[in-house]
Amino acid sequence: MSDWLPKSQAGRRWLGLAPSYIVIGIFMLIPMVIMAVFSFLEPNPYGGVKPVGSWAAYIKIAFEYDLEDKLVFNPGYLNIIWRSFQLSFGATLLCLIFGFPVAYYITLQPENRRNFYIYLVTIPFWTNLLIRTFAWIIILGRGGVIEAPLLATGIIDDSLRMMYTDGAIAIGLTYSYLPLMVLPIYASLEKLDFRLLDAASDLYANRLEIMTKVVIPLCKPGIIAGCILVFIPCVGAFIAPNLLGGGKKLMLGSLVQFQFASARNWPFGGALSMLLLSVVVIALIFYARAAKNRAALEGSA
Amino acid sequence: MTTAVDIRDVTKIYSPDSSQAVTALENISLTINDNEFFTLLGPSGCGKTTLLRLIAGFEQVSGGEIMLFDKEIENLEPNRRSVNTVFQHYALFPHMTVADNVAFGLERLKKPKAEIKATVERVLTLVKMKELGDRRPNQLSGGQQQRVALARALAPSPKVLLLDEPLSALDLKLRQAMREELKQLQRETGITFVFVTHDQEEALAMSDRIAVMSNGEIQQIGRPTDIYEHPANRFVADFIGDTNFMDGEIVNLSDDLVTCRIGAQSLFETENSGHHKVGDQVTLSLRPEKIMLSVLEGNNDTNQRPGKVTNLIYLGNQAAYSVDMGDGIQLTAQARPREDGELPFAIGDSIAVSFSTRAMRVLAE
Repeated sequence: MSDWLPKSQAGRRWLGLAPSYIVIGIFMLIPMVIMAVFSFLEPNPYGGVKPVGSWAAYIKIAFEYDLEDKLVFNPGYLNIIWRSFQLSFGATLLCLIFGFPVAYYITLQPENRRNFYIYLVTIPFWTNLLIRTFAWIIILGRGGVIEAPLLATGIIDDSLRMMYTDGAIAIGLTYSYLPLMVLPIYASLEKLDFRLLDAASDLYANRLEIMTKVVIPLCKPGIIAGCILVFIPCVGAFIAPNLLGGGKKLMLGSLVQFQFASARNWPFGGALSMLLLSVVVIALIFYARAAKNRAALEGSA
Repeated sequence: MTTAVDIRDVTKIYSPDSSQAVTALENISLTINDNEFFTLLGPSGCGKTTLLRLIAGFEQVSGGEIMLFDKEIENLEPNRRSVNTVFQHYALFPHMTVADNVAFGLERLKKPKAEIKATVERVLTLVKMKELGDRRPNQLSGGQQQRVALARALAPSPKVLLLDEPLSALDLKLRQAMREELKQLQRETGITFVFVTHDQEEALAMSDRIAVMSNGEIQQIGRPTDIYEHPANRFVADFIGDTNFMDGEIVNLSDDLVTCRIGAQSLFETENSGHHKVGDQVTLSLRPEKIMLSVLEGNNDTNQRPGKVTNLIYLGNQAAYSVDMGDGIQLTAQARPREDGELPFAIGDSIAVSFSTRAMRVLAE
C-alpha cells in the first residue's frame, strides 16, 4: 500500500469519490453558486454586475416602482411564469399522449429490433435544436408544408395562421422533448413482465382494464420520470417560444435569456432562474417522497 | 358424465407462413370430464403448455376446435372464457396486495363489494393465507405466492382451472405437501383441474386421468395405473417411472402366452395381449420393482434365471441393483434392505432373478 494514500477508511473513501465531487463541483455547484450570488447583486448597465448587495432582482419579479417611487404589485412577470407553466404542462401532456404508445409499441417488438427503434427515437438529438425548430417554421408557416397544398387545392382560402401562437409553441416543445418522454417510459415498460397481461386477461380484464389496472400502474415510475424530464426543460425553453411564438408573448426561458442578452440585467435573470430552480427542486422532493413511500409499501428497499 | 373440455383435432402451428413454421400440436383430440383432475404430462417442448394456452385463449388454434361445456370458444378472448389459470411463475400483480390480487377477477366481473370481500376471505382461508391479505407479493415466500396464485384463480369460481406447472418452482418438501393440498382442493371445490407438468410422480400422485404427450402428439390417455402398468409404447414406458427395456423377437404364441427370444438364446414368456404374431420384432418392458432377487438355489423356472450383481446404488429405503443376466442382458432390479438395515446382496454376488409372466409388457413400437 502506498504511503500517500489516506490512512483512515473515511479518507480513502473520500479520495475514491473525489473525481465525481470535482466534476459535480465544477460543472454544477460553482455555476449555481455564481448564479445565486449574482441574483443578490445590482446590475451593471453594460452587462455583468456591480458588487453591491441588493434584493431588487427578487422584488422585481412581482413589484415595480411607480412614479412616486412606491412599490406596487405588478403581475406582468408572474403572468409570464404562470403561462410558461401552463404551456409546459400542455406540452408534457402531449408528449405523454404521443410518447407512451411509441414506447409501448417498441416494447412489443422482437428484442433484436427494439434497439433499432430506440436508436431512431434518439436521432433528432443528432442535429441542433435550433435548426430543427426552424424546420417547424417551414412546416407551420404561411404557405408552408401544411398550408401550401390546402391553399392550392382550395380547401382553405386564407392562411391558417398557425405560426406565432401558443399552439405552435406547444407543438415545438412537444417535438423537442418527446424522446425524453419515450426513453424512460420504454425503460420501465421493458422491465414489465408481460405474463401479467395474460394473467389480467385471464381474470376477465378487458384491454382497457389491462392498461389502466396493470400496465400503467406498473410503469408509473417511468411515466413520472418522463414527465419531469420533459416539463423542466420546457419551462426553461427559449428556442421554440422565440422562433415559433415569435417572441410576442414571453415565456420564462425567453425572459431569462432576454435578461442576459439584451436587457443586461443579470441579477434579474439570476433571480428568475433561482425561482424556477426552487419550484423544480420542491417538485422533485415531493416526487422522491412519494416514490420512497411506494417503495416502502411494496417492501422493496 | 359431462364433458368439460372437448378438444377436437386441434393443430397449432407457430408462424405458419414463414420458413420457420413450428408445429406445436398435431391433430390432438381428447375430452376432459367435469370434476376431473386431468393431467397433461410430457417433457418440455411436447406441446402441453401450448394446449393449456389454447384452452385459456392466449393462443389461437390453427386447426380443429375446442369446446368448453359444449360451447365453441374459438372466438372468445381469454377474458370471456370461464376458465382461470395458475401460472408457472404465479404472475401475481406486484403493485397490489394479496387481497387485491385475489379480488381482481371478481372486480372485473363487477360482483357486489360485499360478495367480493366474502369470497376473497373464503378462498384465502381455503389456501391458508387469510392472515396475509395485506402483504405484497414480494413479501411472500415462493410457497405463499403459489397459494395466492391458486386463490386468485379460484376466486371467480371458474368452471375449469388450468394449472401450468404450478409446483415446479417450489422445493421438494413443499412440492409434496402442495400435491396433497391440490388434490384435496380439487375434491372439495369440484372444479375441473387441467394440470400441466413434466414431473411424472406429480402426475401419478394427483390425477384421475393422464394424457402423456410427446412431440405435439398424445402418446396415451388413461388412469395413472393404466399408464404405469400398461404403457402404450416405449416412450410412455420410459417417461413414466423406471423400467428395463429389452429388444427381442416373438418366437412362439399360445392362447395366453407370448414367448420372446432376447439376445442369442434367452427365452422369456409374457402375457399375450393379442396384437402380435410370430416373427415380430418387439420391445419388452420390465419394471425394476417387479423383479425379485433371491439367493441362487438352482431352480429351473422359465422366468427365474441366474445373474450376477455388477453394481448397486443405495437409496435408503431400498437399493437399485444392476444385474448381468448373461447373453448381453442387463437388468436393473430393486431390493429392500434386510430388517437389520444391511443390504441382502453385494457387488459380485451370484443371485437368482425371477418375475411373473404378468410383469413383462410387450410394447408397440
